[in-house]
Amino acid sequence: MNDALAIELRGLRKEFRRGALVTRAVDGLDLDVRRGEVFGLLGPNGAGKTTTVEICEGLQTPTAGEVLVLGRRYSVRAEALELRRRIGVSLQETRFFEKSTVREILELFRSFYPAGRSVAEAIAIVALEEKADTRSVHLSGGQLQRLAVATALVSTPELLFLDEPTTGLDPQSRRQLWEVVREFRAGGGTVLLTTHYMEEAEQLCDRVAIIDHGRRIALGTPRDLVASIEGAHVVEVVAAGLDRLGAARLAGLPAVTKVSGGDGAFALTVSLPHVAMPALLDLLQRERVELTGLKTRHTSLEDVFVNLTGRHLRDEGTT
Amino acid sequence: MLRPGIVYRIALTSFREFLRTPEAIFWTYGFPLLMAVVLGLAFRESQPQPIQVGVERTAGGAAWVAALRANPRLAVREVAPEEAERMLSRGRVAALLRGDPPVVRLDPTRPDAELARMHIERSLAPAPDSAPRGLEVTEQTAPGSRYIDFLIPGLIGLNLLGAGMWGIGYNLVDMRSKRLLRRLVVTPMGRGEFLVALLCSRLVLVFPDAVLLTLFGHFVFGVPVVGSPLTMLALILAGAVAFSGLGLLIASRPQTTEGVSGWMNLILLPMWLLGGSFFDNGSFPAWLQPLIRALPLTQCNDAMRDVMLGGAAPWAIAGPLLYLLGFGAACLMLAVRIFRWS
Ligand SMILES: Nc1ncnc2c1ncn2[C@@H]1O[C@H](COP(=O)(O)OP(=O)(O)OP(=O)(O)O)[C@@H](O)[C@H]1O
Ligand SMILES: [Mg+2]
Repeated sequence: MNDALAIELRGLRKEFRRGALVTRAVDGLDLDVRRGEVFGLLGPNGAGKTTTVEICEGLQTPTAGEVLVLGRRYSVRAEALELRRRIGVSLQETRFFEKSTVREILELFRSFYPAGRSVAEAIAIVALEEKADTRSVHLSGGQLQRLAVATALVSTPELLFLDEPTTGLDPQSRRQLWEVVREFRAGGGTVLLTTHYMEEAEQLCDRVAIIDHGRRIALGTPRDLVASIEGAHVVEVVAAGLDRLGAARLAGLPAVTKVSGGDGAFALTVSLPHVAMPALLDLLQRERVELTGLKTRHTSLEDVFVNLTGRHLRDEGTT
Repeated sequence: MLRPGIVYRIALTSFREFLRTPEAIFWTYGFPLLMAVVLGLAFRESQPQPIQVGVERTAGGAAWVAALRANPRLAVREVAPEEAERMLSRGRVAALLRGDPPVVRLDPTRPDAELARMHIERSLAPAPDSAPRGLEVTEQTAPGSRYIDFLIPGLIGLNLLGAGMWGIGYNLVDMRSKRLLRRLVVTPMGRGEFLVALLCSRLVLVFPDAVLLTLFGHFVFGVPVVGSPLTMLALILAGAVAFSGLGLLIASRPQTTEGVSGWMNLILLPMWLLGGSFFDNGSFPAWLQPLIRALPLTQCNDAMRDVMLGGAAPWAIAGPLLYLLGFGAACLMLAVRIFRWS
C-alpha cells in the first residue's frame, strides 16, 4: 500500500458471461492514480472505461485483480462503508426522482453525509441556480449532467469519479465544469474521469491512460504522450488523385515520419512543417493532383490513439 | 442502526413523488371510490334469486338438507359448525338451521328473512299438504349483509394490494431502470434505510385511503363500522406489510418496468378473481379452496369484514393477522436476499 496513491489497480479483470458468450470488459489492467491529480481514462466506446470506474466506486466486483481505493478495500464491509463517505460519484447516465426539484434532490443526497457543502453551494458550483426549483424531469440533458455532478459534490469528497461528465454539454458549460474540476483539485482533491474529448483530456488531466479492449495501451501526461509521436505536427491532405500516387510517395517526402489514411484523405505526421509543406505542394503540382483540403495542426492525443491502434477514437473525428 | 434523518428524507422524497403525480392519486384514491359507487348502485336492487339457507353439518342435518333442496326457491349450503355463525353474520345466508329439532336463526333486518322462514317451514312440513311445521325461531340482527357492505372491506384490501404492487414493486424497478438505485448505493445511505423509508412512505399513503373508503361507505351507503378502528388499523398495517413484502419481492430482479409488469399481472389476476374482494370466494370449488385460503388478500378481506361488520376483537383475528405478517416477513427476507441494486 502506498499512501501517495488514491487508487491502485493490479491485474484488474472483469468478464461478463451470458451463456457461452464471454465479454472481457477489462483485461488485466494496472493503474495508479496519485493523490491530488486529475487522472483521465480515454478510449473508444466499449473500451472498458465505465466498468473500470464502477469497480473503483464499489458498484461492480472484479472477476480478478486487486483494487485499493484510498488504501481501502470494498471487500471489507467496514472499509466499504467508510469509502462511500469519502468518494463522490457522477455516473455515466442517471435519471433522478422525476417530480423532485434540483434543490430537493440535492437535499436528499446531502442528508446521506455527516458533513458537506450546503445545497445552495452545490447548486452554485454547477451554475444551476436558475433551475434550482425545476423538477428534474424538465431539465435538459446537459443540466441533468450538471445535477449529477452536483450530487457528487454536495458532500466533501476526497476522491471524485466523473464518468463522461461533459458529454452533451455545450462548450460554455463544458468550460464551466472544467473550472469546477480544477478548483476541486486545487482544494487537494483527486479526480478520476473518463472522456471522449481529446481537448478535455489535454486541458484538464495531469495524466491520462488510453484504454482499448480493456487494456492500457498508453500512460503518461498528455504532453509526453503527444511528444512520443515522432513529429509534432500533422498535415491533413484531401485530394481525389492522392490514391494514384500511393502512401509510399507521400512517406518519401522530406520531414514526413508517418502516413496514415486512404481513399483520398491522408494524414502525414511531420517533424518540420516548413520543410514538408513545400515538398508536398511541389509533388501535387508536378503530378497534377487537384487539392480539395489542406490543414496543419499540432499532434494530439487523438493522433496518439491512431498511432497505437490504427483506428480513430471517435467515429465523428476529433474535436 | 436506522438514521432517522436519512429515512425521513427518502420517505419524504418518495411521498412527494406520489403527491406530484395526479394520475397516481386518482388511481389510488379516486378509482376505488368510483368502483364503490358504481358497484354499490348496480347491486342495490336484487332480483328474485334463490334464498341462501345454511344448514349446520351434523348427523341429523342431512335429512333437512334433502328436504330443503327440494324447494327451488332455496339454495342450500351445508356449513361447518364453526363457520355457521359467521355465514349468517356475514350475510352469506339469510337463515341458518342448526340442532335437532332444528332451530332457525334469522336476521330480521334482511328483507328476505321472512320469506326464508316461510319457505323453510313449508319445506320441512311432514306431508306436502299438511300445515307447515312450526319451528323454533331465534332472531339475530346482523348488520352489514348487503353487497356494498361486503364490498367496502374488500376494496380496502384491494387497495393495500395495489399499493404494494405499484407503490413498491413498480416504483423500485423504475428506479433501477433509471440507474437511480446504483447512484444511491454508492452513497453512505444504508440499503435497509432506503427500503424501510420506502415502506413507510407507502404506509402513510394507504391509511388515508382506507379511512376514506370506510367513511365514504359509512356516510353514503350506511355501511356499518362495528369493530374497533384500532383493530382495523392493525389489520391494515398487517395487510400493508404482506403486500409491500410481495411488491419488494417481485421488484428484486427485473431490469425493466415491462418485466415487473408481467409479475404484477401474475399476482393481481388471481387476487382479483379469487381474493374475495368483489364476490364471495367461499362458493368456488373445493379443490380451489386451499389456494384461495392461502392468498393474503383472502385472509385480509375476511378478517376486515369480521372486524368492520362483525365487530371481531383483536384476538379473534389473530390468525389472519399473524398470517399476513408472516407472509410479508417471508417475502421481505427472500427479497432482500436476492435484491439487485443495479
Ligand atoms: N452488464 C454488462 N453485461 C455484459 N456486458 C457488459 C456489461 N457492462 C459492460 N459490458 C461490456 O463491456 C465492455 C466495456 O463496457 P464499458 O461500459 O466499460 O465501456 P466504456 O469504455 O465505458 O464505453 P463508452 O465510452 O461507450 O461509455 C463493452 O463491450 C460492454 O458491452
Ligand atoms: Mg462508459
